[in-house]
Amino acid sequence: MQRRDFLRGLSAAAASAIVVSPSVSFAADEKPQGSNALSYKEALAAVTGGKTPEVSKKVALKVPEIAENGAVVPVTVEVDHPMNEDDYVKSIHIFATKNGNSRCVDAHLSPANGKAMLSTRVKLGETQEVAALVELSNGTFLIASQSVKVTIGGCG
Amino acid sequence: MSKRKTLIKVKPNKFKNGDIVKVSFMVMHPMETGLRKDKKTGKYIPAEYIKNVKFEYNGKVFTNMNVWETLSVNPVLTTYMKVDGEGTIKVTFTDNEGTVEESSQKIKPKG
Repeated sequence: MQRRDFLRGLSAAAASAIVVSPSVSFAADEKPQGSNALSYKEALAAVTGGKTPEVSKKVALKVPEIAENGAVVPVTVEVDHPMNEDDYVKSIHIFATKNGNSRCVDAHLSPANGKAMLSTRVKLGETQEVAALVELSNGTFLIASQSVKVTIGGCG
Repeated sequence: MSKRKTLIKVKPNKFKNGDIVKVSFMVMHPMETGLRKDKKTGKYIPAEYIKNVKFEYNGKVFTNMNVWETLSVNPVLTTYMKVDGEGTIKVTFTDNEGTVEESSQKIKPKG
């Protein structure tokens, strides 16, 4: 009888532990928000000022389709547009749509560049789309995006 | 804080006046988001990232970048530039704490 009682007590203790443990782990998993956190929609609206960007083939976005390591994902944006004094690419923005802070780089170019290109490496927290927004000097916005599969997240 | 290691690369090696060359800027920087925990102490590592990178050629700004903490560790930023005679490329970068550092590279077109 003693042994039976002991086992009963053990199982009860285990059950209570199972009930308690999820709440504890959830509390630990809560991630803090970064001070620069901004969603993709808000970031896009802040740059375009409410205008809808046009999906264009002039913007060539080069990103690997599968990134094994999300901490280092090479991104290259090239724009097929002349860089004259009165008609040039004003800026190139790179967004990671599902990162806490979706903004990566805002590059402001000038006619002295000769060629509109921006290349860098970004961190991606999870599988998501990478978007490149381009502003021309006449005020129009062009956009291109591609999804990237991330096997190991790179943030936090 | 000690000065960070930087590197400015111009490609290709040989170029003429009026050519368009690739300018890469690399900096050894941790780019901490402030959301990562130290495994030993369990405390958050304070944020430390670059905010702004400015490319100048003979005192004239040709590319100005606003950068966020979502860039990878030791970031590399590449852009193009039109060569217009002998001169220096100066890159100035600003930290999230307002520390400004700069590095420069002299270029000499041939022919």
